[in-house]
Amino acid sequence: MYKFDFFKPDDLHEAERIVATNAEYKFLAGGMSLVPSLKMRLSKVAGLVDLGDIDSLKGIRLEDNNLIIGAMTSHETVASSELVKTAIPALSWLAGGIGDPMVRNRGTIGGSIANADPAADYPAGVLGLKASVITNKREIDADDFFVGLYQTALYSEEIITAIRFPIPECAGYVKLRNPASRFAVIAIMVAKTFDGVRVALTGAGSHVYRISEAEAILTKNFSPTALNSFYISSEELNSDIHASAEYRAHCFKSIASRAILISLSETGNQKLS
Amino acid sequence: MYKLSLIVNGKNVSLEVEGRTLLVQVLRNHMRLTGTHVGCDTSQCGACTVHLEGVAVKSCSVLALSCNGMAITTIEGISLKGELHPLQEAFRENHGLQCGFCTPGMVMSSLDMIRRIGTDLDEKTIREQLEGNICRCTGYHNIVKAIQAGSNTLASQKSLDD
Amino acid sequence: MKESAIKKIGIGASTPRKEDYRLLTGQGQFSDDFYLEGQVYAIMVRSPHPHAKIVSINTLLAKNLPGVLAVLIGQDMMDDGLKNIPHTPFGLGTADISIENKDGTPIRISPHYSIALERVRYVGEVVAVVVANSVEIAKDGAELVEVEYDILQSVTNTREAAEPNAPLLWDQFDSNVCLDAVLGDSIKAAQIFDHAEYVVKFDTVVQRVTAVPMEPRSTLAKYDPNTSKYIVYTCSSGAVRVKNDLAIVLGVPPDYVRVVIGDVGGHFGARGMLDAECVIVTWAARKTGRPVKWTSDRSEGFLSDYQGRDLTVSVELAIDNVGNFLAMRGKNISNLGAYTVSFQPLQKGVEIMTSLYQIPIVDFHVQAVISNTPPTRPYRSAGRPEVMYVMERLIDLAAFDYGFDRVDLRRRNLIPPEKLPFKNPFGMIYDNGRYQEAMDLALRLSDWDNFEKRRQEAVTRGKCLGIGVSNYIDTGTGAPRERAEIKVQADGNVDVIIGTVSTGQGHETSFAQLLTEWLNVPIDNVRILTGDTAFVKVGGGTHSGRGMRMASIVIWNCVQEIIDKGRKITSLIINCNLEDVIFEDGRFIYKETEQSISLFELAAAFELRKDWPNDLKEGLFSISDITNNTPAFSYGSHVCEVEIDPDLGTLIISGYTAVDDVGLAINPMIVDGQTHGGIVQGVGQALMEQCFYDSVTGQLLSGSLMDYAIPRADSFPFFSTAISEVASTSHPIGVRPGGEGGTTPALGVVINAITHALSGYGVRHVEMPATPERIVKAIYRK
Repeated sequence: MYKFDFFKPDDLHEAERIVATNAEYKFLAGGMSLVPSLKMRLSKVAGLVDLGDIDSLKGIRLEDNNLIIGAMTSHETVASSELVKTAIPALSWLAGGIGDPMVRNRGTIGGSIANADPAADYPAGVLGLKASVITNKREIDADDFFVGLYQTALYSEEIITAIRFPIPECAGYVKLRNPASRFAVIAIMVAKTFDGVRVALTGAGSHVYRISEAEAILTKNFSPTALNSFYISSEELNSDIHASAEYRAHCFKSIASRAILISLSETGNQKLS
Repeated sequence: MYKLSLIVNGKNVSLEVEGRTLLVQVLRNHMRLTGTHVGCDTSQCGACTVHLEGVAVKSCSVLALSCNGMAITTIEGISLKGELHPLQEAFRENHGLQCGFCTPGMVMSSLDMIRRIGTDLDEKTIREQLEGNICRCTGYHNIVKAIQAGSNTLASQKSLDD
Repeated sequence: MKESAIKKIGIGASTPRKEDYRLLTGQGQFSDDFYLEGQVYAIMVRSPHPHAKIVSINTLLAKNLPGVLAVLIGQDMMDDGLKNIPHTPFGLGTADISIENKDGTPIRISPHYSIALERVRYVGEVVAVVVANSVEIAKDGAELVEVEYDILQSVTNTREAAEPNAPLLWDQFDSNVCLDAVLGDSIKAAQIFDHAEYVVKFDTVVQRVTAVPMEPRSTLAKYDPNTSKYIVYTCSSGAVRVKNDLAIVLGVPPDYVRVVIGDVGGHFGARGMLDAECVIVTWAARKTGRPVKWTSDRSEGFLSDYQGRDLTVSVELAIDNVGNFLAMRGKNISNLGAYTVSFQPLQKGVEIMTSLYQIPIVDFHVQAVISNTPPTRPYRSAGRPEVMYVMERLIDLAAFDYGFDRVDLRRRNLIPPEKLPFKNPFGMIYDNGRYQEAMDLALRLSDWDNFEKRRQEAVTRGKCLGIGVSNYIDTGTGAPRERAEIKVQADGNVDVIIGTVSTGQGHETSFAQLLTEWLNVPIDNVRILTGDTAFVKVGGGTHSGRGMRMASIVIWNCVQEIIDKGRKITSLIINCNLEDVIFEDGRFIYKETEQSISLFELAAAFELRKDWPNDLKEGLFSISDITNNTPAFSYGSHVCEVEIDPDLGTLIISGYTAVDDVGLAINPMIVDGQTHGGIVQGVGQALMEQCFYDSVTGQLLSGSLMDYAIPRADSFPFFSTAISEVASTSHPIGVRPGGEGGTTPALGVVINAITHALSGYGVRHVEMPATPERIVKAIYRK
């Protein structure tokens, strides 16, 4: 890695103050994406501000009909939380499928969505559930948050403090995994939210996005067979050595229909090979 | 350079490190605890697994300074008074290691598995929970058997204690 | 310890391993664990291009970086008189067939540079080395090395590299084809094929893979200017070979290089010989006057480890009207990479192309071609998984194309026991075995006969079930020379020095079990000493299942001599006739009076006198140094069952049964462990692994574990294994090569199972790796 300064402030104000002193200072959450990238010398920072000691950024609570998850809450905490399992089982399942147990012990929801990896799981959860991202400056709607490849609407000094998930009527998440990286080849979050039916697709493009035509079909008929005659174009989908765009397009229907099946079931869990 | 204080396998340690120093580098290079291994550079293989405040993490992807003031347990801290931990004994009885390079990570990861889920581990759960530990020698067969056996031993020890 | 209890952990006992204590508690000593005071660190600067002329290398900025001790390039190496890395392209020994160019010209052997000279020939080839006080400074220095390249056209694909108009890698060769030979009888074959009732055709590529041992490569070297000697800590499967080859490269007598190998984190072939970085580090230690360490990153390993397989095959099988195999002909092209390191995968493959079936006539054209990729060499069962896969696919394709029963076709053509020893059409003589029995056992254990019931059940869940069987024969063999030195010490231990190195096979325990069996010594009192050329003078290393096979011979020889000497020493102490002294249960017994003395008591008693005759002066000590060119064969049969989701193409292995004949299993638990690991490496290649070089840019696209898929625990069920022990007639105690049989049939059996599952869709074949996408494409024929 290149050299960098290191800070570990006790509270949010201190973190804001430090990061304002140097434009090349970045936040460090769990480090599960940032540290490997720094190790490969793919990126360079002047300093890292570790948010690990800021307790106000951790925790899960229910507020009205929303699940509010602190930005520094680990994937393992979300996956094993009884609150999450009851309120949004698909979210518990999504978190429990990120990386592996050691990555889940350390990785955080805030870190994941700030990084906005095109094949990450949480972005599909945030977009598919019409969540909003609460920062130290404002609240950003999911539809405005993911803007490009590893790009979000966040300003450089903005800190995500929590994510607000309105509790949906039902939701289901299914992931087809890349056998090497275990990231999503394609993964789909389907949900019946207060804002209507949402279908969020990750792993297939430069960032997570919604399939509005599928949403329209499911709005009329929310069932696993509703998408039987729906085809997604392979034109804008990713192609790599593991899966061509055509294959991703082919799998869309099957994955989406399984997600719908799960959302209609009680348990909200299904494993694919 | 920054001051770093850790409690490693019960011992207080103080040293000076850079911002970029990784936890695994402190363990292997500064402290010469070479039981924790580096097997990859994409945080996938799990050979570097240690316990940070009792929770399994990949020490190759954690900055040392992020652990300031915390307790770390490495593979060297698992066996007590020269006796193998029941899980380590189970690995040995069941031939759960061949070259031994992934083994410390397997042991640390299995202990965390038991901590999170308990000792009632079926084959499917164990295999899924080993997603972050790669082995190239054993084909995983005996590792799964070892974890089943080790967790059974711990379960019966616990019921004896209760 | 009771004597009968001691015997129980001798040959045939599944005794837990001694080495596990240190490996389980983090006390192992792997190469990166070695540390020398004052050590500095090397980082390699690697070519980003698959093929380019090196126009210039500017090292000034790098050299001036504080903390950098040296920046060295290929020319510096030449100026210092270092030689190229030696190859043994056809291995040592005479157990394998001889292959020569069909036009009588010499086989083209390329030089093998440790650091590229005027040209780079693959992405990742070393062009410079930076040595600095820390890894980070060395990396900073590496970024400052400026290399100017003149990009040349490159070729990575095997068939394309063999074309006459392919970009050439070496000025001295007029083609990239280094070996071009024909084997068999083309005229007889043509006659048979012209008249055969059935001809099955098969074209396939057995893709390039890489070993991915969990321990990345590492070397730490030190040079003593006072003695002009080197000490090199490295991970390799054989200390003696590395030492001898390093000495040749450095231009020093062999005794000026000491190689020390501690624990080795897997090998599988990738560590079978000297690598460029080991040379560079050792030389850099002399240049800088400091101990120099280099440890590979995993990504670096994907670029620069010796790789495996990469065989392109085009083959036909002629069958008569009732299913007898008549002849086989085809073409095998092996992709050597940029340097002609090894023709062994090609050679060891084609010589058993016909496997354990009776196929009287063959006609094969074999070629070895160089390309802009890293060099290949033997990888877990060199050459054999490739050809076993081809043979077993041909049989299933014959069934698919012409309606034969897959099992009957095999049974009809398997060499029956009474025909062994059997000379195959390439000249290899198989020793003995009961091939049909192995297959019958595998079919029974896998519940083959009830497959249809399981298949129908899977259909109700929307899944396609398939089952496949594959038989194999495996030419282990390996380096022919091995040596053991055994001394019974007065302190109660037996020391065994031997030239093998355990890279996970458990030799510390399994070799000790031989001493338990033959000398009645508990395994805790046997020390297996390997890996340090300070005391290991001769040895062939560990590969090809030769470890136990050779060790059991030399250890047996030493034991006989020690027993002999022990009887003599006893007879002299007691003052009786030699014929009246016997050795039984660890004691030397004078029959007349039943006086006896234990092995270690005798060793202690021996020390009390100095007036022994010359032939006994060394006490209970023996050396056995043998050269064994007898080919060795293991064999077996595997069955695999897969369940496929036809929508997504994803699959699970719902069952895997392995029957493997190792002749005699010293430690069955260890043998089973080798089988499990071998199966997973084979399945990995069948389903997911590939060194993926872009055919246009020559870039490696599978450059890390994020893109090179390695099987995880959740990809497998428990395996059902059975060890068969038909003693090999080509070994004094019946041992066959063990350790590779898990992989040898795995490629074929997995693809056979997959194509069987998809036969309902009319799918004839799926190429490896049989990814979900390839399976979907086969179903939809896109």
